[in-house]
Amino acid sequence: MSAVLELEDVRSGYEGVEVLRGVSFSIEAGELVTVVGPNGHGKSTLLRTISGLVPLRGGEIRFEGRALDRHVHHTAARGLAHVPQGDMLFPQMSVHENLLMGAFLCSDSTELARRMDEVLTLLPKLAERRNQQVSTLSGGERRMVGIGRGLMMGGRLMMIDEPSLGLAPIVIEQIYEVIAQLGKSGRTILLIEENPARVADLADRLFLLDNGEFIWSGPPAELLASDELISAYLGG
Amino acid sequence: MNTFYAVLVSGLTVGALYAIASIGLSLVWGALGVLNMAHGAMLTLGGYVAYGVITGLGLPVPLGIFASVAFGALAGGLIYVLIVRNVLRQAKADFEANVMIATVGAAIALENGILLVFGGQPLRQPVTVSGSFELGPLIVPWQNFIIMVAAVLAMAVIASLLNYTRMGRAIRATAQNRDAARLMGVAADRVYLIVLMLSGAVAGICGLLLSAMVQLSPSLGNDPMLKAFIMCVVAGLGSLPGAVLVSFGLALLEAWVQYQFGARWGFPLLLCAVVVVLIWRPSGLLGKTEVRRM
Repeated sequence: MSAVLELEDVRSGYEGVEVLRGVSFSIEAGELVTVVGPNGHGKSTLLRTISGLVPLRGGEIRFEGRALDRHVHHTAARGLAHVPQGDMLFPQMSVHENLLMGAFLCSDSTELARRMDEVLTLLPKLAERRNQQVSTLSGGERRMVGIGRGLMMGGRLMMIDEPSLGLAPIVIEQIYEVIAQLGKSGRTILLIEENPARVADLADRLFLLDNGEFIWSGPPAELLASDELISAYLGG
Repeated sequence: MNTFYAVLVSGLTVGALYAIASIGLSLVWGALGVLNMAHGAMLTLGGYVAYGVITGLGLPVPLGIFASVAFGALAGGLIYVLIVRNVLRQAKADFEANVMIATVGAAIALENGILLVFGGQPLRQPVTVSGSFELGPLIVPWQNFIIMVAAVLAMAVIASLLNYTRMGRAIRATAQNRDAARLMGVAADRVYLIVLMLSGAVAGICGLLLSAMVQLSPSLGNDPMLKAFIMCVVAGLGSLPGAVLVSFGLALLEAWVQYQFGARWGFPLLLCAVVVVLIWRPSGLLGKTEVRRM
């Protein structure tokens, strides 16, 4: 197996605040890696740094062996699909147009049709809502559009940021069913989740992010029993 | 009855001009979220460029028309290169205010440049068509007809571009969520450049059409810019269909008020209508009040 994404001593943050403080890890092709951790400890910043939305202050990010430049629109061209936290959809566009935006860089109409077919098969609800304006969808449906749009990008690495955020338990289950299917199909996925128990059966490896640093990594079953998990979430 | 039709034709012609002026302004607001205060000066430039090419250089009229569009686009491109691109590199929080102030400066510079080259005396635009034709009860001057057709064509081209092309989708996506568009591979900077050039091209053609109705002067674009801004606010900033509808509606109202009460009442009553609309609907008639299911 070869590393799809490698981070080496990555530091980043916002004005005057360093959020990520030397993060290093790698993801192999076909892996589903999950980063867990409490709120406000840098999980989303990690993905935003990888895709260039947050400037890199130090370290290096390599995708398929080559350093990622810091232009956000280039990361999509390199094959990195980022499904950001919350919606970040195009609210005045229809579901269909949002999905088409995912394939913005795809100029091959056959490939575009194939991707659209794949997305609508995996997420049939989107076919029903095809012409509906996205702002009128429910939270769960909007999350489906976000994942569908990410799939339309046809990337070789999909980064999904807290897909369960703000959703009802039943909808979260549906979303995670879709992610499990994507994982089983051999996609390389970097998933962000706050609740470690939710991803225990899903992830190949777990990383625990605490105050901008990885304090633990390994198989999910081991993390759930670790002291580091209790310390990160409850303090002490 | 004849007077009614005359007011109708006049209102529709002025409405067409307002519509082209306001779609250029609205396009920039919608995509960049900023007010281009140099829009009026770009409009003036369009009129003077056509005059310079046709009268000064003695070139054919179509070349003059092409030049006004090209120079308008070029002015838009320069506003991007000299102002927007540089301001974007600075603090994101002050982007809108900085661009607005910088474009005021660009407008003053452009207006004074025109004054230096062409002088302050009013000039007659050579692109005029005389005569009229009858359409049922309407007597339509060819000049007005051409203005209306050109306005409708310009609006159709922009609407098609925004709704049916990949670039149009990228423009709309950038307007709705810049970061999300960038994540999809859209080069937002290039979108801004294209939008400003497009808006400049539309301002160029608008200036040409406007100067064919009134005389050329360095402050030609000031009044249409103010009116276009009013149209955009009433329509809802960034709403292109709204800007077009409101332009025609308010121009017809203005023409009727001017006929009924005299020309000096046109603008004040227009402003009163604007105040009423904004009290009733603060985000404009067709503004982006997002419907969001929780």
